[in-house]
Amino acid sequence: MRSGTTALRHTALVYDSREEYVARAVAFLREGLRSGEGAVVAHTRPGLALMHEALGPDAAAVTFVDVSAAYTRPAHTLAAYHDVYAEQLRAAPSLRAVADVQFGPDPGEWDLWTGYESVFNESFAHLPAWVLCTYDGRVLPEPIRDAVWRTHPVVLDDEWTRSDRYEQPGRLLRRTAAPAGPLPGLRPIGFGRDAEEFRERLARELVAAGVPEHRTLDMLLAATEVAANAVRHGGGVRDVRVGRVAGRFACEIVDAGPGFDDPVAGYLAPRPGIGSGLWIARRLTWQVGFFRAPEGFTAQILL
Amino acid sequence: MTGAARLSADQERHLVVAAGSGDLDACRRLVEEFLPAIGSLARRFPHGIGVQRQELLQEGVAGLLFAARRYDPDLGTPFWAYASYWVRKAMQDLVAELTMPVALSDRAVRALAAIRAARNEHLRRHGVDPTTDQLTEATGFTRDQLHRLQAAARTPRSVSGPAARDGEGGAEQLGDGHAELAFEQVLDAIETREVRDLAERLGERERTVIRAHYGLGGPAQTLKQIGQGLGLTAERARQIEAAALGKLREALARPAPPLDSAP
Repeated sequence: MRSGTTALRHTALVYDSREEYVARAVAFLREGLRSGEGAVVAHTRPGLALMHEALGPDAAAVTFVDVSAAYTRPAHTLAAYHDVYAEQLRAAPSLRAVADVQFGPDPGEWDLWTGYESVFNESFAHLPAWVLCTYDGRVLPEPIRDAVWRTHPVVLDDEWTRSDRYEQPGRLLRRTAAPAGPLPGLRPIGFGRDAEEFRERLARELVAAGVPEHRTLDMLLAATEVAANAVRHGGGVRDVRVGRVAGRFACEIVDAGPGFDDPVAGYLAPRPGIGSGLWIARRLTWQVGFFRAPEGFTAQILL
Repeated sequence: MTGAARLSADQERHLVVAAGSGDLDACRRLVEEFLPAIGSLARRFPHGIGVQRQELLQEGVAGLLFAARRYDPDLGTPFWAYASYWVRKAMQDLVAELTMPVALSDRAVRALAAIRAARNEHLRRHGVDPTTDQLTEATGFTRDQLHRLQAAARTPRSVSGPAARDGEGGAEQLGDGHAELAFEQVLDAIETREVRDLAERLGERERTVIRAHYGLGGPAQTLKQIGQGLGLTAERARQIEAAALGKLREALARPAPPLDSAP
């Protein structure tokens, strides 16, 4: 499998030792470097130090990314990687990246991160990048090991192997993502005359709820994007509801349109022809969900 | 019973969510509540591995705050059951990083010496650690170069190093000074990385208009009032705000360059 990368290649490796990880990751990156591609290594700090050492002089041409704090929410992680890849692609025609995947201990969140790996295939589908996701097989729970084959079209086993278990991201997300529903206790504040008045009303609620200043701005920007979508594609905003629910500030925007059913909406990295409103909203907030209700199609934003 | 003995489950949930959402006061309270538990985890690391207790605490605090940003209470896992994994992992990563026998190139060693000298000079003059921007200015390195060096060039320490340093050998209790310092340093890093990000993209006047209009840090004002304060018309203030929001939007949705524009 050669690079000559013109679109995303999202591949995976499950390694059984530190030595195997280093040997395969270094060989993969060096092949790309020889072809003039950019190179990225994403790992925890000890992993970066290891790779830096193994790459020797080639390390100078590699961008090292500390992932220790990057895996908070899938949309945030996608945005972080997108920024790194975009920067690389300003200097090189294509790139190779080795990214060590950070799964937590809670089985409850494994579906969320499996969804992230899956949607990665579509999020960056347009980028000339060959990404090798690496998993430490010594600590990998069986469901994640299985998910590696369901979320990567090709896996580096003894050789590059096409996965016969690969699932289309939309299908996988629809199966694993929990549907949103209306939140109790929210207060209607209405939309107002225009986006400016909407932001003024929303800002009053955010300030009254004690939301920190920088997070208030995040919510104002995110909600503006969602409301703009409702106006542009949803026949206008019927109502806005806000309040605190279980510690989070929530904003629900009800529109007058038929709604949509697209589980990857807002996960596609910005590119010509793809709207970026939901991408912005997702990267600034904890969660953006959609549901149909008797009063209209509703977007739910949790800060 | 929660990981923080003084909190009810509901209080803990609210505190964790607020901290995870970027409320710095909540971060501070969360750390205070869980510092004994973090200290307890830190004490499980043996002495003599070449890592200072305060460094372990710092990493533990960072691990706790990372856990808060990632934790989803709706999944039903108690916070400390979840967070203790990330706290322990952060400490283990630090130990691995600092004890890994990494040999640096001569060039990297010289670069690190320059960074260390700049940091010490800044500390001597101002009494606080320099920011990344201040370090780039002082050394001439780009932010990227600095990050690369910092990623791979922590001073290697031997696993067979001295058993105790800085008078901390055998001390089971963590001093308040250490804890406070650990927290402040982590908090500074968070503030630098996250809180200032969006605001940094705006000019002074743009920031002033948006903050005043939406009541951030003071009473909300109309665009007319803001304009009067700045010697502008309301329409000009509106244009400034629209441009500022557009600038933020553009920054958040900046696409990668198209394939045919790459070098």
